[in-house]
Amino acid sequence: MIRTLLNHQWKSFWRSRNAGKSLALQIVIGFFTLYLLFSAIAVGFMLQKLLTNFFPGQDIIKIFCGFILYYFMSDVLIRFMIQDLPTLTIQPYLVQNIRRSQLIRFLNVRSMITAINFVPLFLFIPFTIMVIAPKYGGITAFAFIISIVSFTLFNHFVILYVKRKSIINSWWYVIFFAVIGAFAAADYFHFFSLRDASAVVFIKMLAMPFLCVLPVGMAIMAFINNYRFLLANLYLEDIVSKSRKKEGAEYTFLHRFGNTGELIGLDIKLILRNKRPRSVAMISLLLLFYGFIFYKPQYIQEGKWYFLIFGAIFITGLFIISYGQFLFAWQSAHFDGMMAGNLSVRTYIKSKLQLFTGVSSVIFLLSSLYGFLNWKIVVIQLAAYLYNIGIQSIIAVYFATFSYKAIDIGRSATFNYQGMSAERWVYALAIYVVPIVIYLPFGWLINAWAGITAIGVLGLTSYLLQDWWTDILTKCFLKRKYKILDGFREK
Amino acid sequence: MITVKNLVKTYTGRIVVDIAALQINEGEIIGLVGNNGAGKTTFFRLMLDLIKADRGEILSGEKNVAVSEDWKPYTAAYLDEGFLIDYLTPEEYFYFVGKLNNRSKADVDEFLKSFDTFFDGSVLKSGKYIRELSKGNQFKVGIAGCLLQNPGVLLLDEPFANLDPTTQLRLIKMLKEMHAQRRMTIFISSHDLNHITEVSTRILLMEKGLIIKDLHTNQDTLSELEDYFKV
Repeated sequence: MIRTLLNHQWKSFWRSRNAGKSLALQIVIGFFTLYLLFSAIAVGFMLQKLLTNFFPGQDIIKIFCGFILYYFMSDVLIRFMIQDLPTLTIQPYLVQNIRRSQLIRFLNVRSMITAINFVPLFLFIPFTIMVIAPKYGGITAFAFIISIVSFTLFNHFVILYVKRKSIINSWWYVIFFAVIGAFAAADYFHFFSLRDASAVVFIKMLAMPFLCVLPVGMAIMAFINNYRFLLANLYLEDIVSKSRKKEGAEYTFLHRFGNTGELIGLDIKLILRNKRPRSVAMISLLLLFYGFIFYKPQYIQEGKWYFLIFGAIFITGLFIISYGQFLFAWQSAHFDGMMAGNLSVRTYIKSKLQLFTGVSSVIFLLSSLYGFLNWKIVVIQLAAYLYNIGIQSIIAVYFATFSYKAIDIGRSATFNYQGMSAERWVYALAIYVVPIVIYLPFGWLINAWAGITAIGVLGLTSYLLQDWWTDILTKCFLKRKYKILDGFREK
Repeated sequence: MITVKNLVKTYTGRIVVDIAALQINEGEIIGLVGNNGAGKTTFFRLMLDLIKADRGEILSGEKNVAVSEDWKPYTAAYLDEGFLIDYLTPEEYFYFVGKLNNRSKADVDEFLKSFDTFFDGSVLKSGKYIRELSKGNQFKVGIAGCLLQNPGVLLLDEPFANLDPTTQLRLIKMLKEMHAQRRMTIFISSHDLNHITEVSTRILLMEKGLIIKDLHTNQDTLSELEDYFKV
């Protein structure tokens, strides 16, 4: 039975609409996965040497044991971000003559086939065989490997459970990160040493190999817990519909912008209420902290202003760049309605530009806090801000008219390349090239501040011409309107 | 009101809509019938300028819908869930549509009151986003969103298919009332011959993109249609 189900998954992958595209991406992802596994093996075999070099004269087995819990701790975090919940379009199978337990077993087995489960094996087993086995004997080494595998599976099933739970109730997210954060903080401020704890636990295991039944027990419990949860929730409406009551929201401050304001409000709700755009927005906000990398004191002292201006454009323009790459596609599910509604295309385009202006202004204000490092940073960011609202936003809208692929905004963004295409790469290129082209002649011939001024002044000029740009962008949009609509309708 | 001239739409060589000439007058209720693939939905999409015609044009109030956007203020349509913004609550959706049509919030609330029986208590204040509503309730939201615009031209694609029997009858009653109040031009496609003959003033029977019958509804229309669809 599991074979048949795997076979169906295989077919659904190859026969999906954009099989060709996703194949190319799978190859890229597959390549990275292989690279990761290969690195893990390489590190695994060199671990003995690395530890001896880095910690000369110390007991490398103790050092090794001290690192294991660290690894599994970060493993939890990484899993939480990248591990996919195994899904099977369950509906057609539920009514067939298949036992529920078989479906769940399939989900569980399928979930275990993931690269991240093999990394710890590749990383730790070589060392266990090469160093621990000669010293403590084969049986101890074997028990040690069993506990490593058990910890891996424990993490695996616990994360699946927490992720499934947090879909139903987002408090699980908060609690999960709070617990991890508490551990990290306790370790960082030396209240408690994860390394010592890890060393104690695993050295005990070496002394008493039968203790490996503990991690095995933990793994089995995590598995059973997950199994029970799935068995209880293998009904169609569960997992999604046990959700809280939704309240409407109103943004009164947008009222004075008329229809454009309504559309901006719509975009804000889209971002707040859907997984993928929400994570895009969150990431743009988090990356504001990139300033600490771009605005290093040494760059300021050495007067590397060109480095700062490009950093500033990137930091303050990230929302436009990343939200803009699917600007219309975010609304692909109801694009028919948008185009048939009582709304001119020009208003629609204008609302997008104003959304960019509004968000950029907020980001500019937030990023002004970097002024405490050096007031000149604020001047540079002002130029970057003018560039973003005047030029970057135009580039984003222009390239958005070339994106014909629908997007499922309910799915999470990590490793979700749905909607990516060749135009995206040209877009990425334009983002880098345009500011350089503006900067270079002035920056080169006069000085960096002339280049920065040029970027700011040109941005401002272009912003003042926004109405004219809107007309042009509307024409570009109308030229490809049917193609966009056709593409979005094809889910 | 609506004029169709030499309209042709093909998909990979197959003709899906081919209407040489059609004149719809203001205040007519047009029932569009025909088996699957007859071109009903495609015709609706062409009228809303959502797809590009290979040839010909549709004039709404003398203006080509593909060139001017002047038809938008007086045209309302609900074809499928693609017309709903599914991450809004029904109320937010109505306020949004209302706003685009210059109707204030209080105005919309007043309008929604008259829909209480139509919604049957499961749409408003349900604490759900539209994407969490059942298909039938989504359809109710779509239809109400159209009527809220007080349109001069209304397009509904198979409205009876997703509604319960009570709501089907309510919808017919409501459309007739609204039509009587103001001379609304209505297009409805349906597979339900009883309902469609009851509500329409004129029936267009489509087959493979062509309009093969153009009937003004009278007591013989139903049997004439039943004859055509007989197996």
